[in-house]
Amino acid sequence: MEKKRYAIVLDTKKCLNCKACTVACKFENYVPVGDDTYRIWVTELPLQGKFPHLHQDFQPSQCQHCENTPCEKVCPTKATFKTPEGVVLVDYEKCILCKACMTACPYDARFVSEHHEAVEKCTFCMHRVSEGREPACVETCPVRVREFGDLNDPNSRVSRLLSSRPYMQLKPEKNTRPRLFYVL
Amino acid sequence: MSTRIDNLRSLIRVNRDVPAIPFIAAGFVLLVLGLIGVARVIFEGHEAVYGVTRQVPWGLLIATYAYFVITSTGLAFIGGLGHAFGFHQFAGLSKRIVLLAFIVLLAGFTQIGMELGHPFRLMYLLILSPHFSAPIVWMGIFYGIELAILGLELLVIFNPAGTNHKLAAILGFLALVVGVLATSNLGFVFGSLTARPFFHGIYFPTFLVVSGIAGGAALLLLVYNIVYKFNVPEQFKEAMNSLGKLMGLCISIMIFLSFWKVLSSLYTEPQEAYDAVITLLRGPLYANFWIGEVLMALVLPLALLIVSKAREIKTMGLAGLTFLIGMFFTRYDFIVAGQLPPMRAGNEGSGVETINGLMHYTPSSGEWMIFFLGLGLFLFLYFLSERFLILDADAH
Ligand code: SF4
Ligand code: SF4
Repeated sequence: MEKKRYAIVLDTKKCLNCKACTVACKFENYVPVGDDTYRIWVTELPLQGKFPHLHQDFQPSQCQHCENTPCEKVCPTKATFKTPEGVVLVDYEKCILCKACMTACPYDARFVSEHHEAVEKCTFCMHRVSEGREPACVETCPVRVREFGDLNDPNSRVSRLLSSRPYMQLKPEKNTRPRLFYVL
Repeated sequence: MSTRIDNLRSLIRVNRDVPAIPFIAAGFVLLVLGLIGVARVIFEGHEAVYGVTRQVPWGLLIATYAYFVITSTGLAFIGGLGHAFGFHQFAGLSKRIVLLAFIVLLAGFTQIGMELGHPFRLMYLLILSPHFSAPIVWMGIFYGIELAILGLELLVIFNPAGTNHKLAAILGFLALVVGVLATSNLGFVFGSLTARPFFHGIYFPTFLVVSGIAGGAALLLLVYNIVYKFNVPEQFKEAMNSLGKLMGLCISIMIFLSFWKVLSSLYTEPQEAYDAVITLLRGPLYANFWIGEVLMALVLPLALLIVSKAREIKTMGLAGLTFLIGMFFTRYDFIVAGQLPPMRAGNEGSGVETINGLMHYTPSSGEWMIFFLGLGLFLFLYFLSERFLILDADAH
């Protein structure tokens, strides 16, 4: 059987900026309280148009689980590693807190966790996925902005979305080949 | 037994002529401040004591680390020239060169040791779980080997039974080669960061090596002036003259490299590299850049060297002092400037707070205390050695 390639596809047109995903992530993963300690975020993009014809988009995001992985490449101890499914994780016991991965990440997706005494970031909620559940952010969203699934399964929701809608990725010029896709 | 004591006597004496006491005292005070800083980090934690942030994770300590270790490899380079490449004028300086290189490297290690969250983990994971394609692994390996080579060189040079010059030459050559590898690889530690285009390319590995050699020469010129109270004896004139020329050459290369680095980062505005260089030219780091780097590290020392015609040793000592201060700014600026362009715009909800579209960083008091730890260790150990060791090597 072909191994899985996990990804998240986002339809940000639906996003209400309710930030339920950010709260769910904090609770699910015991992310410490603090201005700089967060795994996911919802950015309010600049207003478009001129009054009274105004429009604003929101852009939820997190670690892109890059296939060409800048953080993993510079990690001296293999604390940052990739699972066979392409999920980028940190082994907290091996992290020396050199913070090279933080300076290497083009998406500012990592932070120092005093709780783990290591660098942490989005894990695609692998502890839930291994139990057949969805990541907390995906499950919580009231309008289902995110879909999580296997790109190698043509019938998965992520595959079907990507085969039916145009999409973009963040910072393609960095050649990181993200596993997060934004349908347009 | 008595010959052994006689031999030891040939190494040790109390050098009352050397004005070492004020430096030892200053070093001691700084060391104490530094140790208070260490205690703060142990009891309060890195996050609470240091001013680095999620978006600017590397700050003053990485800059000071780079400052020290690169100067050390620059010294080792000059020592290698003397030992292995027939630049005999440097051979008479060899004891001070090796001792300085060793102590300066130790001072650098204090900075990285206090910067890493788990320095001891690094030591065993470098053996148990090394990621050989990560440049930090090579940084650890090269600088570790460099420390060992310099330590051996010290043993050989300070052997009471006499120096084995052949062995010293081999070790000097190795210290030169490993030092260049270590420092150019340090450039790649930054150059390998996908997110930071300002650090990419050949500029930093080259610039760090060249500026390190200038730093080594500057430190020697300054130290000889201090030790001989600005009246360096005739026997060292040729060496000082060569150091002045070497330093002038390296500063000229630095000017050349910097000019093209700035220009290539400005022309056609290549995104983050452009933003980084603007922080230097007219952004938050402009005073550091124009006064610290351009004036103190480039223009002033080069002008002083030209005025001295590489002969007036006092003037060259002054050039060394301004360069050593200026070079600190080059290290700090290069590390901070590359991190100021944000990876995500500071929009509402993003969690990123920018000022004029840039990140910001100011070293905390705790970081300055760790800086004092390194500087204090250097002053204390080196001038203690000046007080009690015979450091004028025989030329060979
Ligand atoms: S987004 Fe950042 S942390 Fe996530 S895989 Fe890419 S480089 Fe690593
Ligand atoms: S901070 Fe930890 S995870 Fe990041 S590169 Fe260093 S050791 Fe690896």
